[in-house]
Amino acid sequence: MTGRAATGRSLGLLVCLDCHLTMRDAKAPQMRCARCHARLHERKPHSLALTTTLLVLAAILYVPANLLPVMDTQTIIDDESDTIISGVLVLLHSGSWPIAMLVFVASIVVPLLKILALAVLIYSAWRRLPNGRMQRSQLYRAVEFIGKWSMLDIYAISLLATLVQVQSFASIIVGWGAWAFGAVVVLTLLATHTFDERLLWDAR
Amino acid sequence: MPLVMLCPACDLAHRCTAAPAFVRTRCVRCHKPLQVARDATIDTAIALAACASVLMFLANVYPLVAMHVNGASRQTTLIGAALGLYDQHYKMLAVLVFLTIFVAPLLHVVTLLYVLVPMWIGRSAYGQNFVIRLITRVRPWSFTEVFLLGSVVALVRLAKFAHVVPGIALWSCVLLMLCLSAMTSRTSSEQLWQWAGRGPP
Ligand SMILES: [Zn+2]
Ligand SMILES: [Zn+2]
Repeated sequence: MTGRAATGRSLGLLVCLDCHLTMRDAKAPQMRCARCHARLHERKPHSLALTTTLLVLAAILYVPANLLPVMDTQTIIDDESDTIISGVLVLLHSGSWPIAMLVFVASIVVPLLKILALAVLIYSAWRRLPNGRMQRSQLYRAVEFIGKWSMLDIYAISLLATLVQVQSFASIIVGWGAWAFGAVVVLTLLATHTFDERLLWDAR
Repeated sequence: MPLVMLCPACDLAHRCTAAPAFVRTRCVRCHKPLQVARDATIDTAIALAACASVLMFLANVYPLVAMHVNGASRQTTLIGAALGLYDQHYKMLAVLVFLTIFVAPLLHVVTLLYVLVPMWIGRSAYGQNFVIRLITRVRPWSFTEVFLLGSVVALVRLAKFAHVVPGIALWSCVLLMLCLSAMTSRTSSEQLWQWAGRGPP
């Protein structure tokens, strides 16, 4: 069924991803949009290769992001390093479990799900799997929607590190885990951006 | 040839029909919204953008949070949060925070006003097409709502050993978030092109 659907590719039409104008192949001079002059492509160029590269980098950095400390609290008496997980546990012990859940979901669950979901999407777009296209398209839109929420912990850490610099009391130093974590967030956001959703729908 | 429009998400061709202007059409195959509501007026969009710029000013001038502990106190502004990272030599991270909580929202509002105000008086801004494209590219990188929730997390973590006071900027950020989302939903790229007189025929 879907294999015989009239698509832009079969009709020789192109759609601009910036302004959503549909135009004829031949009418686009130098393959630029007639309305907003954005570069036009039938599909995003090298979509699968780029997305895979970004995703592999993100998956590699996900390990130090979770193992290295994201911040280091130094007081006169002791020196305490926090990873993302131990930060969640601190919140849980201090009795604010809704916030603990929020950080757990935004910082641990969301990045992991994003990496796994994008891997599934790349595989099915590469193999052009015919079934469950609708579900995969919805998965992609979900990944697109939740993407930015992983930045939550980065903002919290930056505020803590800026505020807690009281001499003779305590100071918070940012750790390399935060850097790796920020890189994971940016890489997965870029990977989502370079993935072309239409590849999920292309006929074999 | 009948007018055809392609779904940007699955490439399926749809024949353009004269649908009522406020109807949200979805792609028949992948259910992606194809045309967005055209019931917004340019006046509302300008009002929201003006409102957002005032709130953005407040959010950046006043302190975001103040902390009091053992007689000492410290406070920070929105940009201070990015500078704090920079001071600790996490320059890339500082740039990321600065871009997503300051540059992107500011650019979003400024570019919108730049194209909307001339449209409102019946002219078109210099480089309008480029600026409209810039708006749609900048928009996904503005993370004000995420920053707001991040500040709440930071406040909760601090509250157990210090007295923390949310500042004017934090409340401005709450309003700014609402204002930006109302503004974004009224200024989709289809809507902007429609106002520019270059909507779908
Ligand atoms: Zn265009
Ligand atoms: Zn579609």
